[in-house]
Parts: sequence; C-alpha cells; structure tokens
Amino acid sequence: MNDLKTLRDVLVENLERNMMPFPVDKGICTGWTRDLPRSGDTIIYTSCMYQLAPLFPMFNRFLPYLSALRSLTPLASKLKPSEAQLNRAYNVLRKISNALTAKGIKLAYLYDDEPYSGALLLELGFLDEFQEYAKKVYGRFKERGVKRIITVDPHTHNALARYSEFFSFNVEVVNYIELVEPREGDANVYTIHDSCLYTRFLNLREKFREKIKIKLVEDDMVTGKDTSFCCGGPLAPVDFKASEEVAKARAKSLSRLSKNLLVQCPICYVTLSPHFEGEVKDVAEVIL
Amino acid sequence: MSWETAVERAINNNVPRVYKILREHPYILDLAKELREAKLKVLENLEYYVDKTLDSVKRAGGHGYLASSPEEAREIVEKIVGKGKTVVMGKSMVAYEAGIREFLIRQGNEVWETDLGEFLIQLANQPPSHIIAPAIHLTKEEVEKLLKQKIGGVHEGSTHEELVTMVRQFLREKFVKADVGITGANAVASDTGTIALIENEGNIRFSSISPTVHIAITGVDKIVPTLADATKEVLVQSAFAGLYPPTYVNFTSGPSSTADIEMKRISPAHGPKEFHLILLDNGRIKASKDPVLREALLCIRCGRCHLHCPVYRALGVKWGDPPFTGPMGAMWSYVVYNDPKPAMYCAHSGNCKEVCPMRINIPRVLEYIKWKGNRQKA
Repeated sequence: MNDLKTLRDVLVENLERNMMPFPVDKGICTGWTRDLPRSGDTIIYTSCMYQLAPLFPMFNRFLPYLSALRSLTPLASKLKPSEAQLNRAYNVLRKISNALTAKGIKLAYLYDDEPYSGALLLELGFLDEFQEYAKKVYGRFKERGVKRIITVDPHTHNALARYSEFFSFNVEVVNYIELVEPREGDANVYTIHDSCLYTRFLNLREKFREKIKIKLVEDDMVTGKDTSFCCGGPLAPVDFKASEEVAKARAKSLSRLSKNLLVQCPICYVTLSPHFEGEVKDVAEVIL
Repeated sequence: MSWETAVERAINNNVPRVYKILREHPYILDLAKELREAKLKVLENLEYYVDKTLDSVKRAGGHGYLASSPEEAREIVEKIVGKGKTVVMGKSMVAYEAGIREFLIRQGNEVWETDLGEFLIQLANQPPSHIIAPAIHLTKEEVEKLLKQKIGGVHEGSTHEELVTMVRQFLREKFVKADVGITGANAVASDTGTIALIENEGNIRFSSISPTVHIAITGVDKIVPTLADATKEVLVQSAFAGLYPPTYVNFTSGPSSTADIEMKRISPAHGPKEFHLILLDNGRIKASKDPVLREALLCIRCGRCHLHCPVYRALGVKWGDPPFTGPMGAMWSYVVYNDPKPAMYCAHSGNCKEVCPMRINIPRVLEYIKWKGNRQKA
C-alpha cells in the first residue's frame, strides 16, 4: 500500500495552491474549447478529468516512490498526454458540449478558473480535507454566479452530490446524460462497462441505458447491476498492482462478450483499455 | 491459476443460486427486513442484552460468560477443557478470531476442525479465505493433493463426492471419541439463552451433541431479542449464502434434558452434560456505540458481499485480517483488530451494499474507517 499520508500532503498542498490535485498545465484542461462564454448561470464542469485521465496511470506508477521523490512533484506540470489522447478527450467534451447546446442550454465554462472537485480526497477517506476544500470550490462557484452545474464524469458528479452532506450547498447538479438527445444508433455491437458510481450510487444506470440506442451484449453475471465489477481505477492511488489485478479480471470478462466496449468514465477508459481485447469507446463518443 | 480459477468457479456456482432462492422464496426479504430491525434494537442497547442473554443461559441450565478479549476467551476455554482431551470444532469464525484451536493444541489437546472447509485449511495450515467457505481458494485438484498427502486414501482424479467420503471416514472416529465439542452460533436468543446454528454437513450437530461438553463461542453481535428472531437470522443467512433450505438448523438451550419420568425435567439426558456459551466482545461493544460502525455489527456472515466484490475477486485472502476477508472483513478487521488498512482497499464498487441482506452501506462504513485510519496516521 502506498504512503497515503504523503499523498494527502501533496494533494492538499496543490489544491491550496491552484485548486488542482497536482501541478498541471491548465492549458491542457481548457484546450478543448474557446467558444463557450466564461460566465453564466449554467456551467459545464469537467474538473479536468477527461483531459488529465491519460496521465493517471503514470502518476499512479510514481506514487510508491512519492515519499522519497516528493521534491520531483512540480515536474508533473511538464507532463502532457499525447496528442491523440488529448484529441480524444477533447472530442468527448466537445460532443457533450455541442449536444447540450443543441438542446438549447446556454452553457458557460470556467476555463482557467475551473477547480478540481476534490473527488480524490473523498474517495481516499480524507473527509476533513474534502470538506474544507469543497467549501472553497463552492465559494468559487458562488463568486462566479453559478446556479447549475452539468457534470460529465461520475467521480466529479459523486463528489458534488456529496457536498451537501458536509455543508449547505445550494447549486443544482445534473449529469449530461440526463439532458442530451443522442443521435440514432451505431452499426457496431458493443458491450458495456457501467460506472460503479453512476450505477450504484447516483441512480443513473437506467438513464444511460435509455439513452444508448444501440445493441448491447449483456450477461447477467458480467453487466448486471449487482454483478458488474469495478474497473479497478479508484484503487490505483492506494495500490497500483491491486488495481491492475482488478482491471485485468474485469477486462477479461468483458472481452468474452464483445470486441467493442462502451465506458462512461475517463478513469474506466484508461484503466481498462490496456487489458481489453478490442476497442474501448466512451459512451459520448458513440451516442452523441 | 489457483485463486482466479477457484473464485470464478465459486461465483458461477453460488451467485445465480442465491438469485434463484430469493426469487422462489420472496418471504426471505421480509424476514431480512425484520431481522435488521431486531438486531438494531439489540445494538442500541448491547450491554443490557448481553446481561439478559447470560441470565437466560443460566436459567436454561447452562453457563454463560462475557469475554472482553481473545485472551479472556482462551482462559475460559482452558478452564472448561483442560488438557489431554479430544476436541471437535464445528466451525466458528469467532473461535478463529480468539485463536482457540491453536491454543488448545498447545495445551496438549487433540483438536479437529470438522467443517469440511475448516478441516481442509487446518490440514493445509492456511487461514480461511471466506467467512462461510473458508477453503474457497482451493480448487478440487488442490484438495485432492492435500488429502492424499495428509490423510491418504485418495486417488488421482477423485470426484468431489469421493473426496468428501474420505473426510467423512476420517472424522467419524473423532466425533465418537471427542470429549468436548466447540461450535459457534449464528444467533443467540436473548429471551431464552438459545443458540441457533445452521449447517449442511451434520458436523455441527455431531459436535454439539456427541461430546459430554458443548462450548459455543460467538460474538456479542449475534444476540437477537427473541428465539423467533434467531430463527429469522438462520433462515436469512442460509438463503443469502445460497444454501437454502439449510439441511440442518440446530437450536440449543442448555445441556441435554428429559422430562420422561413423571414429567420432571432433569439434566443431562443423552446429549452433553454441560453447555457453555462464551460471548466475545473484543471491540464490538465499543463499535455498537458508534452510529456508523454499529452498521458493521448487523452483518450476519452470509458471505454474499465477497462474491460481488471486484477487490475480493482479485485479492482473495490477501484482503483483510483472517477470518475477516472481503468487504465485510474490511469492516470487521477494524472492529476487532483496530486495523483500518483493509478499508483502504475498498474501491467503492458498491455491489456489496446492493446485495447485503442487512442493507449495510458497506462502502460508506469503509469510507468512515478510512477517515478514522487517516486521522490516526495524521
């Protein structure tokens, strides 16, 4: 198991400094759009998850050495996903953004001012730090006049959904899948890996199935509500090896169903892709 | 290959069977709901119910003890058993927690686990990997090899049935000559002092009836208000474990007795002369006072959460402090061993909370334990 105390210190230090969990080039986060207004009641909230997710495996491999090499963490800001990885992430975000706009939603985006949600603190059980940081995030939203937040990934959505357990949080939080109108079908046949958070914590499993108007290969023992396993991603900051064991087992069972896999979360995408025998796509890439 | 294959087979054998049982016997879900309420009632006032239970055991002609720690439990067992005895054990995870088997062996007793899974891991000198299927990590092929090596008489390519027959033959003699039988208890009725035990093999019935002394050791969390609640617990436990209807349900209220001469009830009759119930605290009473950890104490040890958990599927016995593995084990590792590390491995997949008969929000309890652990470190 990694040294979580040092990880906590690094997270808190960076969140205090730039409201991001580790040093990042904010240009990576904001590069997907120049068209959206900087302020408005309703924002699309990326929490930079799609954009940074390709770097997570690299960070997770580094974590066992974090205590010894902590002084190297500022170098993280020099790391960038590959062009292909960034293009893919940007494509997902643009598709979501365009689909929301097509529904007549006037979207704003906070660009450089968009803070990270604090999801990692919550998921690692740093609840005091999460509470303190989340209040700061809420302060940022209030300061920018945000009344409605549209999330695009389950970890961010879950973190925001939990804010009101810690303090009074008066912003509407909705996930993009509840709002978009998907385009008609796709000729390919897919199987699906549901996000644990969407499925068993946020009550969005059926909403995703309702919006995915394509044929899914399902098996009660692999893709059922109670049987669909985690991708292993959330375990990576704690123990990368264990996370990989979970990911391999999950990818193996999904590979038996189809060579095309749909995922709903950027972390699931990066965790399962190396082990899945076939092509992995985000739901937004396929249905929007 | 071993763990991956073994757990895959167990999941494919067990999970569909549980769904089928719950479909065919929907009243189980109502019983589970009622049981949760009954258990909560006890946990909100646990010390009162411990006293009440011990009084009831005494009224039924038995001896009741509250052991605050594993050491105390071992001392009580030592006084009852002594040395040079043959002891048969009918699978108790609390006995494992208290280190009873190894202790009795060190005291010069011959001790045999009689539950097939426990017997196998005793032979293999391994910890249990699942709360109700302790040898879940062993494939049939590995069991064959182990039995061949330790008790003999097993040929290559033996069937499951042949392997079980060999163990049956070996253990029969132990049951007959045993002086003391030690079991756990799936539930303890506070109003009557009755323990309820559920099983399929018949080993628990043998262990609790054949020897002249029967010791039951269990956690204080197993107390329920009434014998009716204890009945609910064993039925719900067996259904969610995928073993419904259970082959045997045993109720024991004190030592054996008869009223066949002039309707005067006397003890003993054919069964044990002595009945002892040891209730182990070991952190449970403290946990019952914490509104979040109290939820962990509702666990009825059906082991269903294990087979729906991606982390358990990948890590098996490496996750948790035996006998407490898997999602419930991550909670219990903290309750009884004060170890928050297993909770850190919860990936909040959430399947466990969906399938838990007691509706324990296990990921939320584990998040709380993560928080407690992080604070300890800080």
